[in-house]
Amino acid sequence: MVDAGLKGRILAALHRKPLDIPIIAITGGKGGVGKSTISVNIAAALSEMGYRVALLDADVDAPDDHIMLGITLEKPLDVTVNVPTIDAGKCTGCRRCVDACRRNALFQPGDGVPILIGDCNGCEACMLACPEDAIRKERKRVGETYMSERDRLLLFTGRLMPGAEESSMVVNALRNRLHASGGGSDVVLVDTSPGIHCNVINALRGADAVYAVTEPTPLGAHDLERTLKLLLAIGLRARIILNFSDLPGPREKITVMAKAFDAEISCELPMDDLLLKSHVEGVPAIIMFPDAVNSTSMRRIAEDIAREYLQ
Amino acid sequence: MKLCITSDGKDLDSSVEETFGRSPYFVIVDTETLETKSIRNTAMRSGHGAGIGAAQIISDEGAEALLTGIVGPNAFTALKAAHIKVFEGASEFDSIKVALEKFKKGFYKEATVPSGGPGGGRRFRGGRW
Repeated sequence: MVDAGLKGRILAALHRKPLDIPIIAITGGKGGVGKSTISVNIAAALSEMGYRVALLDADVDAPDDHIMLGITLEKPLDVTVNVPTIDAGKCTGCRRCVDACRRNALFQPGDGVPILIGDCNGCEACMLACPEDAIRKERKRVGETYMSERDRLLLFTGRLMPGAEESSMVVNALRNRLHASGGGSDVVLVDTSPGIHCNVINALRGADAVYAVTEPTPLGAHDLERTLKLLLAIGLRARIILNFSDLPGPREKITVMAKAFDAEISCELPMDDLLLKSHVEGVPAIIMFPDAVNSTSMRRIAEDIAREYLQ
Repeated sequence: MKLCITSDGKDLDSSVEETFGRSPYFVIVDTETLETKSIRNTAMRSGHGAGIGAAQIISDEGAEALLTGIVGPNAFTALKAAHIKVFEGASEFDSIKVALEKFKKGFYKEATVPSGGPGGGRRFRGGRW
């Protein structure tokens, strides 16, 4: 078990904010519930209201926000991790690096210096463990980040290299890029991956408000519960957005769960062909169909955010 | 020669295990003196790199050859670096004793390239199919 002191320090690090800008995260356990659609529409609405918005597309496995916004990705930067190469001249064969590797990526043949064989994720534990300073850092590319600008919207996009496992590292690089270049924004919106894995946790760091998007289906209810448990564990309060709200599914499951986790259902979005149409065109619904019911609802979320965090 | 055979148990009557990295035990037999020793594969439950971890264990035990079902590319690279010969094709329907007899008769041939894919053992251990 993690001791209480350590847990407190981890949580404190999780909530640290390098930029003094409100961060609003849009997350959810299940894929395809509308996290990205809602993110780009809230971003567009806030931008329309005159705010400078930084939108972080932190779904680095499948980043689509730029497609929904009709934006071409610009200013690519490589995301790299440091993998070890061992200096045979300095290595004494003590094997501490091999023992430190949680992924068994290093192997020490009986008569030689350790070699990197397995899939290193760049955690650098071997480098910390080496008492002889015999490990050189070599760069391995795991993805890219992009920064694209359109009017008052600054889109930060992270993209994991297919086959690479370091999605969390790409999210971190994306956050660092925001901290370096997003300082002029009024508000940060973060669109996370589905799920509750460490790349989602990293994307939620420093969030002031979290919207958990779900749908009234058995899957939506199941995955929402996991998201709410995660948010509870890391000390973030959730608001729920119920998308496809008129689906004939187990709605009461969601309402009961919301109550149990003390999370309000702050918005309901019924199924709407206009949203699909805006998807196809690559123009956010609130711009393409400003008077549609869902456009009004999503604009209201943006207004709530502005009232609560941007005064 | 010290021959390591992947096994689901500790002795010569145990069944051969066809995967290397996720094999529960290793039975190490001296093919001249028939002295045997069994060790538990502590790398078996690794989230990643079980094959490399297993190669480290048998290399540390001084094994000179490995007899198993299939070996993946990462484990194969590690075993080659440690100059451990790889013999594939052992069957889970044989006991360690039977596999050892077959080995002595030259039933298995030495592998020069890995035949399994990485992470293959994880799929294997999910159940027989």
